[in-house]
Amino acid sequence: MPDQVIHQVAPGWAVVAVGLVGVFAILAASLDGVLVSRHDGRSSVRGWKKPLDETARLMRQRRRTTLAADSLLWRIGGAGLVVVACLKFAVVPLGQWTLADLAVGIVWFNALDVMVWALVWMIGWGPNSADSLIGGYRFLAQALAYELPLMFALTAPAVAAQSLRVGDVVAAQQGLWFVVWMPIAFAIYCLAVVAFSVWGPFSPAAGADIAGGILAELSGPDRLLVLAGRYALLAAGAAFAVPLFLGGGAGPLLPAWCWVMVKTLILLAALVAIRHRLPHLRADRFVEVGWLILLPAVLLQLLVVAAIVAGRG
Amino acid sequence: MGLKRWLSRQAVARVHVLVVETPGSWATRVAVEQALSRRGWQSAASPADADALLVCGTPGPRLQETIDHVWDQLPGPRARVDAPSPDSALRALEEAETILLDLNRQSDDARHRPTTVTNDDDHSGMEHSGMDMSGPGGIALAAGGPDRDGLEMDVLHLPLGPILQYWPPGLVVRCALQGDVVTDAEVEILEPPTGAEPDESIASLPRRIDVAADILALAGWSDMAANVRYTRDVMIAGADLKHAATQLDRLRTRVGRSRLLRWSLRDLGRVDSAALTEYRLGEDCRGDVYDRLMRLLDLPVEPTDVAIEHSAVVAALPSLISGYDVAAARLIVASHMPLGRLGVVADRPGGGHA
Repeated sequence: MPDQVIHQVAPGWAVVAVGLVGVFAILAASLDGVLVSRHDGRSSVRGWKKPLDETARLMRQRRRTTLAADSLLWRIGGAGLVVVACLKFAVVPLGQWTLADLAVGIVWFNALDVMVWALVWMIGWGPNSADSLIGGYRFLAQALAYELPLMFALTAPAVAAQSLRVGDVVAAQQGLWFVVWMPIAFAIYCLAVVAFSVWGPFSPAAGADIAGGILAELSGPDRLLVLAGRYALLAAGAAFAVPLFLGGGAGPLLPAWCWVMVKTLILLAALVAIRHRLPHLRADRFVEVGWLILLPAVLLQLLVVAAIVAGRG
Repeated sequence: MGLKRWLSRQAVARVHVLVVETPGSWATRVAVEQALSRRGWQSAASPADADALLVCGTPGPRLQETIDHVWDQLPGPRARVDAPSPDSALRALEEAETILLDLNRQSDDARHRPTTVTNDDDHSGMEHSGMDMSGPGGIALAAGGPDRDGLEMDVLHLPLGPILQYWPPGLVVRCALQGDVVTDAEVEILEPPTGAEPDESIASLPRRIDVAADILALAGWSDMAANVRYTRDVMIAGADLKHAATQLDRLRTRVGRSRLLRWSLRDLGRVDSAALTEYRLGEDCRGDVYDRLMRLLDLPVEPTDVAIEHSAVVAALPSLISGYDVAAARLIVASHMPLGRLGVVADRPGGGHA
């Protein structure tokens, strides 16, 4: 059994953490490229190169602005997604090391994904363009549907561990991972990660029907930041699921930090893979699902968890 | 300079092309799509996303004006090329690549572009009279109006088309929006089909399937849209029609099995018998978007009678999309197949073998 004491590392390691988020995001983008290439019957080699090609293309492309754009908010929104993803990653323990061992780690994560509301809205609002604005509306409608279920899904592991500290949640999973006895909370958490990353079935905000929505007016490095931000959010979401539901660093043979990475990558790959496989969940219809199905389901889950914890004593 | 060159080499591996389909250039657009996919390039969703602008067919004066306007919105480095016929598609892409790699030409282009954005919104032909023009940049402020719940809400004007992915060529729908709900719409055919009557290839299977692919793409199911487009291309190639028919059948089953899709498209733009009579629409407009999609994926038993009804659909369009949000409105427009046949087919699928 590995040592479960969590050490907070020096702030300088933040550079490594940001690098890790970057690596995860690049791998996610590569995987997406491969999946699309293979589906279209082209070579996967081209797919792997997707992050490189797209980065080169967008670094070379000029930035642009629109008439009467709210540039400040627009740029804050665009740059913010990557920042939020890195801040989320800061509370994920890699084995026994963590960057920030907050007493309220879970609340920290939740606060940051509420921040995504503001950022995506600003990206939609900023360029003074109807398409982008509609993208912003759609994201807010979607967020109204996933946020409350997500909050309760995050609460379930906290109740079981009787702590909001991420390290305690990991420690409480010795023997049995939370995903086993709170599968609904885990499923809703994953769904919400895809949703706050504006990804796959939850990307009507960036839909082709509104010329790319929140992405419609972005070009060059600004676009690159937003696209990278989406992958980074997906990666941060996958990484946070590991201490929360998947037993943290628990696993045979490999060191704990390695298991965290492996689990993160597997979950991230699964989240990336669903992208093109499902139709969009249109925001107006998804709101119904969010409130009538997801919310009651996760509350029920929470009730079960609370009853078990109380019963255990 | 070495770095710049290397960067541009990498960048042209995955050029995003804004493809403009002029009325009557369907086959050219399809040929361009095939060429794009062969090179690993992709279609751009908006001018900001595009490195190259490719015009299929020959645009008339009004469409030309819009194309010029869109060209100004490409961020650059940028290339503008034409594909007047299906067999010029590949060459047009090669030309675009050459232009994008020509660093001197690109820096010249950048130097000669205006650096500030000005309000030249008048091309949209919108009536500005009576609007408050005191907004930032001299743009009109949104006026208010009662929304569907009886509350006062800003009205926003959004023209859909003519240059838009998965959109019938030459069509413009000027929408009045509250939030993202269409409250009112005006339809205009920018470039009416001229001369010859639509020939049988307009109702041909590849074209029907192409419309189905558009609907799937708009519904966000890009994998399936790609599958359907692949089948379309097999049919156009015409080598193995039997294989294509089996493939289509299999796709139809897979599409039909998706509950998510059915749930997402059900009841959108439902046209019942009363509406059919009221708007004088043809039988293939019946039902909701889902019904129409599934019918498009059917192998037709007999050729449907299409020549009469497209003007009726155009006339009915404002009523058909009013009250829906933009996503639904786009699906509804795409699902009324005759719109896909607005253009006269000047060129034929397969390029030449008529």
